[in-house]
Amino acid sequence: MANKHQAMVINLKRCIGCHTCAMACKVENNLPNHIWWNRVLTVGGEEMDTPQGTFPNIKMQYLTLNCQHCENPACVKACPVGATYKREEDGIVMQDYDKCIGCRMCMVACPYNARSFNWSKPEYSVDFPVGSTDAAPHQYNVVEKCTFCTHRLSQDKKPACIEVCPARARFFGDLDDPESDVSKAIKGHNYVKMLEEKGTKPSIFYLT
Amino acid sequence: MSDKSQKQVFTQPLFIVFALLTVVGLVCWFLQLTRGLQLTNLNNYNTWGLYIIGFMIFTGIAAGSLIFASSSYLFLGMSEYKPYTRIAAFVGAIGSVVAAGLFIIVDIGNPERAWYIIARANISSPMFWDTLILGAYVIIGILFTRQLMAVHAGQKEEKSLRAISIVSFVAGLLVMVTSFVFALQVARPLWNNPVESVSFLAAALVAAFSLLVIIFAILNKSGYIDISQEKLSKIGKLAAAFLFFELFVVLEEVAIGIYAGSGEEAEIIHWLVRGEGAPFFWVELIAIVVGLVLLFSKKTGTLVVGSAVSIFAIFMIKYNLLQAQLLNPLITYAGPPGYSGGEGVYLPSLIEIGVAVGIISLGTLLIMIGLDRLGLGIKSGQSVSGLGFKTKVKQV
Repeated sequence: MANKHQAMVINLKRCIGCHTCAMACKVENNLPNHIWWNRVLTVGGEEMDTPQGTFPNIKMQYLTLNCQHCENPACVKACPVGATYKREEDGIVMQDYDKCIGCRMCMVACPYNARSFNWSKPEYSVDFPVGSTDAAPHQYNVVEKCTFCTHRLSQDKKPACIEVCPARARFFGDLDDPESDVSKAIKGHNYVKMLEEKGTKPSIFYLT
Repeated sequence: MSDKSQKQVFTQPLFIVFALLTVVGLVCWFLQLTRGLQLTNLNNYNTWGLYIIGFMIFTGIAAGSLIFASSSYLFLGMSEYKPYTRIAAFVGAIGSVVAAGLFIIVDIGNPERAWYIIARANISSPMFWDTLILGAYVIIGILFTRQLMAVHAGQKEEKSLRAISIVSFVAGLLVMVTSFVFALQVARPLWNNPVESVSFLAAALVAAFSLLVIIFAILNKSGYIDISQEKLSKIGKLAAAFLFFELFVVLEEVAIGIYAGSGEEAEIIHWLVRGEGAPFFWVELIAIVVGLVLLFSKKTGTLVVGSAVSIFAIFMIKYNLLQAQLLNPLITYAGPPGYSGGEGVYLPSLIEIGVAVGIISLGTLLIMIGLDRLGLGIKSGQSVSGLGFKTKVKQV
């Protein structure tokens, strides 16, 4: 099988800031309390969901942020034990909870602060697991982050955040395939990548 | 060793105090292990804190001590310190390296997996390089101390020290590589610059020389060694020279940020100089200046105070290096609780302080035992029991 380059496209003009993608991610992956792999940031406002500027000259812009699955990931180089690695077959940056020593070097290396540490024993707002039974169980004292829902990809499904977006602002697919959703979404459009000047070559494209 | 000497060190009030503090540290670490790193004041932004500061300082002291000890055999100007190199090598190789290693162990979430750094090493990780360097310090320090003791005892010629001195000196310089954990991170503009490694070397020398001044002054008073005021002052002046370099680096960083006015570096410097971090920055700057002035003192008492202030200044330099950068990430847009960029300032929790004090106390205990057992003094017949300022001659 030829190598893929899994990527995500987020149309900032379509994003309505509803946080549905963040919630879908949280539920699908049964994320412990206080942990968000995908979060909706408010650009400009002091607090989440607050506008920029003073009334009546106000403006709101959202930006969803998850692991950028960089082609040149700073975290992979920094990890002393190889617990974080890039998959050869599709370029997804993974985290091996069983190897992670919890030194948080990767968190220091990541320009996007996309990684979270389990500072306490994983606890959940309900007593029973929710989300996918295939999602990797969470561990104490390790770093975790967005996996592009690899457990769903292996069943030929798209990541949870893609399917639920009510504004249809999110696309996912193989960048090397010209017929994929992501290739079609970026074709002929202006896009930015976050902190591209840092040389990490992120795989998340933001349409502007 | 006679029973009498054994009794002496272990029943000293100071020894008991440090032993109790070590126990306090162990209790704090036990709490942290059972209830998790949530007991620290670290978070997903300020992900490194007091423990990493401790690691940086003690790796520095280890390196600086090796440089001090080896310089005495490599450079004519330092040869007057030959009688004190055994103490310096021991302090560096045992006390500081143990403390530095423990600071990493208590910082990581899964200390039982620490051996993965060797067994499953990712050789491109600067943290792996640090591990190798720390391991090298243990081996080189022990060999160097043994060789120095053998020469002192007349079992070996002094010229046999040349090779190990060169190795120790180079190993000490490698403390610059320990800055790569920070300096190589594109995500951290404040650290991502070439001066970082030289600054780490200067900080290492300030911390090590200052600590040696304090130790030498105490041991001189107790009669364990005999060191003149001029010799102590000269170490103080050397520390001052490197502290002056650190002052220059700090001011240069501030100048770069303020001159730019806006942008990544400027935001960090504004936070530090007149934002939430300002109290920490001004304490740092005052400590550097006061340390610089006092290190030039001709009085032993003032010199010792100056050395303590200088070590505190290095502590503040490292403290602000960490929090100013980690609390001012590249992306600061508001998000869900805990993910709104850096918030507030970093103050270590009581558990963190307890663990840190415990580690430093353990290092001090090791140094006290070593000084007592190995007879590293100029008159090796004398005991360290004088640390309690009573000189007793051991009945060997």
